[in-house]
Amino acid sequence: MNKKLLAVPHFGTLALLLALTLFPFYMLLVSSLKYTEQAIHNFWGVAFPLHLDNYSVAFKQIAPFIGNTALISTAIVVGVVIISSLAAYSFVRFDYPGKQLFFVLILSLMMIPGYLILIPQFLLVQKLDMLNTYQGQIFPPMAFGAAMATFLMKTFFEGLPKSLLEAADMEGAGERQIFLRIVIPLSLPIIATVAIINFLAGWNNYIWPLVATNGDAVKPVILALSTITGNMDQGIGVKLAGYIISSFPLLLLFIVATKPFISGVTSGAVKG
Amino acid sequence: MTNTARFFRRQWKGYIFLLPIFLVLGTFKYIPFFNAVKMSFYDWNGANVKEFVGFDNFVRLFQDDTFYASLKNIGIFTVSGVLIQLTVPLLAAVLVFHVKQLRLQNLLKVWFVVPLVIPSIVIYLTWQWIFAGEYGVLNQLLEQLGLESWTHAWLGESKTAIWSIVFVNFPWIGGITFLLYLAGLMSIPSELFEVAKLDGMNAWQRFIRLELPLVRSQVKLVMVLTIINQIQSFENVLVLTNGGPGDKTITPALYLYTKGFSYSEMGYASAIGLVLFIILLLLTLINNKFVKNTDKID
Repeated sequence: MNKKLLAVPHFGTLALLLALTLFPFYMLLVSSLKYTEQAIHNFWGVAFPLHLDNYSVAFKQIAPFIGNTALISTAIVVGVVIISSLAAYSFVRFDYPGKQLFFVLILSLMMIPGYLILIPQFLLVQKLDMLNTYQGQIFPPMAFGAAMATFLMKTFFEGLPKSLLEAADMEGAGERQIFLRIVIPLSLPIIATVAIINFLAGWNNYIWPLVATNGDAVKPVILALSTITGNMDQGIGVKLAGYIISSFPLLLLFIVATKPFISGVTSGAVKG
Repeated sequence: MTNTARFFRRQWKGYIFLLPIFLVLGTFKYIPFFNAVKMSFYDWNGANVKEFVGFDNFVRLFQDDTFYASLKNIGIFTVSGVLIQLTVPLLAAVLVFHVKQLRLQNLLKVWFVVPLVIPSIVIYLTWQWIFAGEYGVLNQLLEQLGLESWTHAWLGESKTAIWSIVFVNFPWIGGITFLLYLAGLMSIPSELFEVAKLDGMNAWQRFIRLELPLVRSQVKLVMVLTIINQIQSFENVLVLTNGGPGDKTITPALYLYTKGFSYSEMGYASAIGLVLFIILLLLTLINNKFVKNTDKID
């Protein structure tokens, strides 16, 4: 009896909180399918006919920028995984003077906030002739992701069975073979986590491309969102459709890789 | 001797594996960092004017009203952010945790974190639309309820702008905080809940005596993370109000950005960055010394 009475406020509160959380996205979705006319007469509900054409209009405007972002984010992920896994392997497998210092040097970078080095980074990229290029949008974010990734990978590599690596040593396998054939294949979970953290960060990057690009050639989709326009009839529906299209790849990633996604965002926040 | 020989046979390879990361970090983080520190002692427009001015930038900064306005604003963001993050997401996490049907629990977990999956700029632009003066969702809602007199240009008026920014993401659940609390609750041994049941605790007693003490470390972590994040508020303000109206919502990071890129006062901007960095560093030290130590004592 008591239990059933308690269930009402319990689920009632949950339902209310969930509704409030999702309400903006509901509004985004239904409004993205309307023309101005429909939005005026029916602001809150689903209005028919559904104007899927808003999506095709928006997609035409942002498709090249989605391509840019996909390329940039993927390159950041590949770069971070390569340099961080090599560094983590160095820390776990070898013993050389200065090892601890190098590790601290990498870790302490996590303390340096992005805005502090924004201006010198901009001047540097300008000097290297990398403004308005893909490289200019790949390397600085890569440097940001690498410290955290090295830390995560080092921790993971330390947990790999020592006997396996020793056996490989006995067999006379070289470092390259041990790294590529044993360590990397066994570390796919942490690589997935690192990849997701950096893909998300790459997709979300706003300030850096705002500073390091102008014009359309290499512009990422996040910067293109504010320039999406529909005609008088279409109104803001087209813009909102563009917001949803640009979110779609991340939603897809979340659906196919929920677990590493959640562990990625939490470890990304906590920084180890 | 044999040690040196062994070192040269194998261990030196360790340096080679470190080479790529230090090339990237050296170029794109260490050099810019040292330049940022150096530049804060220069009068510099990023191009031809470059003159060493000692501590002038800092002296000027501590007489700059806009800088104090920005500190006040991050004060508001930080206090309200901490209050928010310590309450609503915790409530939601406890409620989700006590859903006994596992499938439903998982489903709730996934739906609550949807805002985390959407690009942050899309979230800000969506809330910009919600707060818009004409045809904004919030104003439409108020009109629907017959409260026309309550409508505002939320982001454009000096009284409402900063609180509108605080309200973005209402009810503030869809974030990492919620997941951290949930993970903390999940790690509480289930026997303790059995005992609580046998003791006849009601939900509130269980929360106060059992759950809250056992997620204490998560609560501390959330507090530290929230403070650090709020002090650095930048993108959300840039997109939503660009610091306005006037300096009602400006933050130090945004002020740095404006000074650096709109006014080409790159030396002064670097000084702002350095001061903010030192504040953060001090807070981190305080955290390491006090907050982490108390954990060890109990």
